[in-house]
Amino acid sequence: MIEILQQIVNGIAIGGVYVLIALGLTTVFGILGIAHFAHGSVSMFGGYLTFFLVAGQGIPLVIAIPVALTAGVVLGMAIELLAYRPVRKASHINAFIVALGLTMMVEGLNLEFFGHEQVVIPTSFDRVFNIGGVTLPELRLYVILAAALLIAAMTIFVERTKTGQAIRAVAENRDAAILMGVNVRTIPLVVFAMSTALGVAAGIMVGALFAIAPGIGEGLVIKGFAVLILGGLGSIPGAIVGGIVLGITESLAAGFVSSAYKDVIAFLVMIFVLLFRPQGLLGKAS
Amino acid sequence: MKRTISTLAGAAVAALIAAQPVLAEETLAIGVSDALTGGAAVYGLPQANAVKLAASEINAAGGISVGGETYMLEVIAYDDKGNPTEATNAVRKLIDRDGVKYILGFCCSGATGAVASFIEYEDAVMLVGNAAERSITTREIPNLTRTRPPADYTGAAAGAFVAAKGHKRVAVLGALDVGFYASYVDAFEKELNKAGGEIVTREAFALKDRDMTPQLTKIRGLEADALLVVGYVEPAAFIYRQSVELGLDLPRYGFTSGSEEQFLRVATSEQMEGVWDLRPTELTLLSATENGIAYHENYAAAYGISPSPSSPYAYDQTYALKDALEAAGTVEDTAAVARALRELAVPDEVVMQYLPIDGKMFDRNGQAYTSNGAFQWRDGNWTFVQDLPSDPVAYSEFLSTLD
Amino acid sequence: MLEVRGLRAGYGAIEVLHGIDLDVAEGECVALIGANGAGKTTTLKTICGLLAPKAGTIRLRGREIGGLSGHAIVREGVTMCPEGRQVFPQMSVLKNLRMGAYARSDDGQADDLERMMDMFPILRERAHQAAGTLSGGEQEMLAIARALMARPKLCIFDEPSLGLAPKIVAEVAATLGRIREMGMTILLVEQNSLMALRLADRAYLLEAGEIVLEGTGQELQSHPDVAKAYLGH
Repeated sequence: MIEILQQIVNGIAIGGVYVLIALGLTTVFGILGIAHFAHGSVSMFGGYLTFFLVAGQGIPLVIAIPVALTAGVVLGMAIELLAYRPVRKASHINAFIVALGLTMMVEGLNLEFFGHEQVVIPTSFDRVFNIGGVTLPELRLYVILAAALLIAAMTIFVERTKTGQAIRAVAENRDAAILMGVNVRTIPLVVFAMSTALGVAAGIMVGALFAIAPGIGEGLVIKGFAVLILGGLGSIPGAIVGGIVLGITESLAAGFVSSAYKDVIAFLVMIFVLLFRPQGLLGKAS
Repeated sequence: MKRTISTLAGAAVAALIAAQPVLAEETLAIGVSDALTGGAAVYGLPQANAVKLAASEINAAGGISVGGETYMLEVIAYDDKGNPTEATNAVRKLIDRDGVKYILGFCCSGATGAVASFIEYEDAVMLVGNAAERSITTREIPNLTRTRPPADYTGAAAGAFVAAKGHKRVAVLGALDVGFYASYVDAFEKELNKAGGEIVTREAFALKDRDMTPQLTKIRGLEADALLVVGYVEPAAFIYRQSVELGLDLPRYGFTSGSEEQFLRVATSEQMEGVWDLRPTELTLLSATENGIAYHENYAAAYGISPSPSSPYAYDQTYALKDALEAAGTVEDTAAVARALRELAVPDEVVMQYLPIDGKMFDRNGQAYTSNGAFQWRDGNWTFVQDLPSDPVAYSEFLSTLD
Repeated sequence: MLEVRGLRAGYGAIEVLHGIDLDVAEGECVALIGANGAGKTTTLKTICGLLAPKAGTIRLRGREIGGLSGHAIVREGVTMCPEGRQVFPQMSVLKNLRMGAYARSDDGQADDLERMMDMFPILRERAHQAAGTLSGGEQEMLAIARALMARPKLCIFDEPSLGLAPKIVAEVAATLGRIREMGMTILLVEQNSLMALRLADRAYLLEAGEIVLEGTGQELQSHPDVAKAYLGH
């Protein structure tokens, strides 16, 4: 019993990271219909930047994180304006190719600026809490709390603010949104700014909890898309549920079936869910 | 691929040449194929550096004298990224385009195995360094030697050591999809079984995995009395860190060959305290011979960073090659040089502490043996504690029976 | 209120509207009728900024709005209740209504929301339901209410009766009548010409991208060409 609880706790932290990645992907997909593959590499950029600020420049983590998030906002808007906007009205394959090219470019920039070595963002959180036999390292606790906070903030932003509602409206019916007076040229900027900031947050978490190295971002974006499909394309609640489900599934699969096949098992679960709910866990049947 | 030519001791060589009467002086190009970038560069780049360091030392000391001629070494290093295809290309390029006959380096088993599969048919000699997969020296390839002992040679010694500590239920967590790590565990298990112990689980992780908590949580529930970690430094460091975070209170043994710096990038010294590393007696400052201390100093001076523990395998290759060339009296006849390597006594300049077989550095399989050691992390350092019970003669016999 | 002169528009190289003149006076209900493909929807899309005009002028209270982007035209005071209702299916009825007031920043929105739900009690009943789960007639009411939430100067209705059951069509007609009574300036496009002409103060008949007839609703209803071709007499 303790073991199951421990595995679930293990899975929640990584699930939270998946959720943050998937939220960015799902809002971008919902608004623009783009599979934004570069998201993983961009998120790694955020992690690298934080590492550079903390380990290279000696800037405290509490300052480095907002700096990196701000950089994420700017980078996200730049990506929308310079990479995706020019192909907005072209056929989908163009955006697809731009996404692939952008991935390689960001990966290359990461390699150029930060090298090929694995980096770990240093933190001073090395206490471990023990709650009835279930251990929870301090850092993981903060990652879970921060992820929960960001998810809540994003949900409130989308559900309670005018701009957030406009984002949903554009995702659901672009022409109708224009008729409501929504400026559909600024909305993608907002979406990319928000998504990239969330991605950067995920990158920082991966960098502190685990490590950042070339190739990690690609793995992350694949998991992000798996969550997207699992939860339902374009669905925000779907991304939240899907991410947590994937994180816990992986953890339980590694613990109770086989660690060698934990990714395989996670994807099998995904396929199984899609057999019965082709629209994803919380997606709408069309 | 980058072509780099060693010019390190250029000044020293020039001074030496100027001081001496004009001799007929030749240049002998030797090649390095190794992982200079990518994940395996932690092992490959220091090896390439070590070959360049040895070559510049040899040049500074007057070069290699073969049949009345003096040869200065020139090192051509190509990046094979630890990848079989890239390594095949790199070696083909060295042989066909650069006309190189002596190829060193080789940190990674996959890349090395690919080159070993065809090197027999080439007019060349291959000297393997850190690659630990056993099958590289089971076919008695006449023109191939290896300085690092196979993983299972070390695994058996480690198994006997852990069994002697009284552990009966050992949980394994390793990069088990990599052949030589699996063979380390197999040999380990055989020795453990002999003493009445068993491996209670074999948990795996992939090269890019960094979250080992699911596997460690499972192990925590198994009431194991020891943990064995086999794998590359970086994932291993995460295992040690997360085992503490999960409150896994077990003696931890490993087979990783990572330096202190490499582990401290991921885990704190407190999290590492007490961890054992059961591996060939490679370079550590506390266990080093005079040669080892000098190597460490010279390497640090040349590259501004400490050498990795396994990098002397490549340094020692270079001196073995020098002695073999001089003994054979030719730089052209690679078969003669290969034969000379098999007959070679351990050179005076080597850093690792080889255990000769019949007085020779390499056995008839072309395999060299070092002692194996038990190192323990104490207060931020890998401390040599004792030799592991290794039996190179018996292992060499065993290796000859395989194909 | 609205003054369209010499409007030409189309898709790519194909011109659909060949110079249209059209007026809607303040408080007036004007119908635009015509067969499928006559250019009714293109006219509306061009007025609303979803399509750029190729030539001609569109003025709202004397201000040129032709060529402005869609969201800017909404801010100028033109709102369209689109064909096929186009509600936001996964958003609740309440949130759909709030989206209607997206371009507004005054504080009368809450009152307007109440007024709309008084006017369409079914919307109050379904306030927290996702709009996509409503019936076709209910969605039409929601689309109309959402358009009114913008407090437009000119409200355009594009085929409000399309695809609805006859009983619901009558309900929609009654609703439009009420909105007209409220003094709203309306431009109505309908295939159901009889319903449109009964509601309209004035009407235009559009054929192949040109205005071929113009008159009061009454006049057009009794015009022999119209009667024969569009009213099915």
